[in-house]
Amino acid sequence: MNILVCIKQVPDMESHFRPNGTATWFDESNLAFRMNEYDEYAVEEAVRLKEQLGGNPEITVLSIGPDRVIEVIKKALAMGCDRAVHIQDPDVASKDSWQIASIIAAYARGRQFDLIFTGMQSQDRGSAQVGVLAAELLGFPSVTTLVGFAYADGVVTATRELEGGVKGKVRLRTPALVTCQLGLNAPRYPTLPNIMKAKKKEIATFQPGELSSEPPLTGSTAFRHHEKKGSGVVIEGDIAELVEKVIVILKEKTAVLR
Amino acid sequence: MNFELTHDQKVLQSAVRDFVENEIKPIAAKIDEDHMIPDELVAHMAEMGFLGSYFPEEYGGAGLDMFSYAILIEEISRGCASSGVLVSAHTSLCANPIYAFGTEEQKKQWLPDLLTGKKIGCFLLTEPDAGSDAGGTVTTYRIEGDEVVINGAKNFITNGGYLGTGIVLASFDRSLKHKGISAFIVDLTSPGVIMLKNEKKMGIRGSYTTAFALDNVRVPLKNLLGQEGKGFSIAMDTLDGGRIGIASQALGIAEGAFERSVAYSKERKQFGQTISSFQAIQFKLADMYARIESSKLLIYKAAWLKDNKKKFSLESALCKLHASETANEVTHEAIQIHGGYGYIADYEIERMYRDARITEIYEGTSEIQRIVIAKQLLG
Ligand SMILES: Cc1cc2nc3c(=O)[nH]c(=O)nc-3n(C[C@H](O)[C@H](O)[C@H](O)COP(=O)(O)OP(=O)(O)OC[C@H]3O[C@@H](n4cnc5c(N)ncnc54)[C@H](O)[C@@H]3O)c2cc1C
Repeated sequence: MNILVCIKQVPDMESHFRPNGTATWFDESNLAFRMNEYDEYAVEEAVRLKEQLGGNPEITVLSIGPDRVIEVIKKALAMGCDRAVHIQDPDVASKDSWQIASIIAAYARGRQFDLIFTGMQSQDRGSAQVGVLAAELLGFPSVTTLVGFAYADGVVTATRELEGGVKGKVRLRTPALVTCQLGLNAPRYPTLPNIMKAKKKEIATFQPGELSSEPPLTGSTAFRHHEKKGSGVVIEGDIAELVEKVIVILKEKTAVLR
Repeated sequence: MNFELTHDQKVLQSAVRDFVENEIKPIAAKIDEDHMIPDELVAHMAEMGFLGSYFPEEYGGAGLDMFSYAILIEEISRGCASSGVLVSAHTSLCANPIYAFGTEEQKKQWLPDLLTGKKIGCFLLTEPDAGSDAGGTVTTYRIEGDEVVINGAKNFITNGGYLGTGIVLASFDRSLKHKGISAFIVDLTSPGVIMLKNEKKMGIRGSYTTAFALDNVRVPLKNLLGQEGKGFSIAMDTLDGGRIGIASQALGIAEGAFERSVAYSKERKQFGQTISSFQAIQFKLADMYARIESSKLLIYKAAWLKDNKKKFSLESALCKLHASETANEVTHEAIQIHGGYGYIADYEIERMYRDARITEIYEGTSEIQRIVIAKQLLG
């Protein structure tokens, strides 16, 4: 069995984001980066499947981006992926989901992957399109927002999270692509010995142009902070009055007490 | 020259940081209150490879370098200084001398259990009457056939309470002072090793600081580490490396207190503005940061020298001196920035202030570091 996991490096979400020079994306200087949270679930699930199948599947981890994405690649290798592909693209932030999916599909095509794991979305761009677009391009069935995953005899049984806490089950035959959601698993920490072992694992490199030169279908036109709203409401009175007022606000302004 | 961590070092740093954020920080206050680190945490750290960090895989280690070890101790101590010193004393003061001075047979016998955390290591040098003056060791030993019989007392032993593996310094002839001292690897469950107490302390309360009586403790002669009479120089060499660990612990404490101070100063409002808008607070933060960064550079340099097999005893004393004084100043100012809340246990700065104090005392007081440094400067 052959597994591909696609991961992205994103800024720590607690960072202070500033618009870049063209005000179409954020300025990357002085940001700390880490693995996209949803991609951690993808890596973890792939490694668990490998363990379930007695170590037989080979897991390739793929990431597109500048030199710094090697850090998340190495983390995935330390978590248990076998080999890596780094698509060296310093300009990744200006590519849209279609371009990224096209690069991934071009890499995966003809390489006989049985299963592709991706995150449900990235924490920074949040398009939730890359996984499904890549699946379409490859002609793979796909299922999104996994909170449960099982595999036996070429069939994936996926549990999906639906609105309002309802869950659904979907079955699909491999080759297939799944996108992973919070709640699927608790990703392992890379241990120190495994971080050392990861040093010896192969990281193959590609230029994006070798794989795809699709033009973008969408373009980001502006990146800015919300305009500052007026300051909050201060409510006064005794406890009973405060509660009354809060309930009125919750009813009128939110869906909490509908 | 390159001031950036490598990809591998960054992977390690963020892996340890995530572990500490999720598994250690949330229980750091409880560790302090309970005067102990839960066994499950010790086991979890062992599983992560924290107890075998820079030793080769063939002995059960993770094969990291000293530089990565410094980052490891720094990151653990940022969340919990007691956990930091557990790993530091275990690694630098027990596993390290066995690795550096042990025979192949000794390494094979003792290291795997230590590096995988089956045994927790400690270093038994200090005695009630021999602190800074370690050459004044009065614990004695005599050889009987193929055994050594040790008698005496040891106190202030970090990790002693785990009764794991200890490096015991003892003299065969007290009149020879430091030339009469030898080092032995001792299984602390041996008959005659009497644990008197775990001390109650101001800080690093989760770390055991243990007093022992050694009453006719019989140890196989093959447990002699290095040669007879070389114990003092083994101890001094061991402390050279250990100081990088303690400096990293101090750095971690300082960074933990600094981060909280920055965040608090941006939240706390007085006189209608955040206290971070007062220059008095800004200057404190600037000074704290300058000290932290300079400590970090000194530590990284000492670790780099050790990794590159260069002499590092001057630099390890320098980084220990500077980082420990930094930890004390930074936690002092951190309380000041937090005002009354800094003095209240819930805010944890108070614990960091108490934890910082010991770093100026153990593995050589600040006075002893200055002596070590001056000696090397003056020849
Ligand atoms: C929590 C804790 C954990 C410890 N862990 C360990 C451990 O794991 N293993 C171990 O062996 N020991 C350990 N120690 C012991 C520690 O290393 C000693 O306490 C330390 O070296 C100082 O010795 P002392 O306490 O006897 O003080 P003293 O040596 O009596 O010093 C008292 C004061 O005199 C100063 N002084 C002494 N000599 C000189 C001099 N020549 N010139 C100028 N000033 C001088 C000192 O700097 C200090 O200010 C630990 C201690 C504590 C408190």
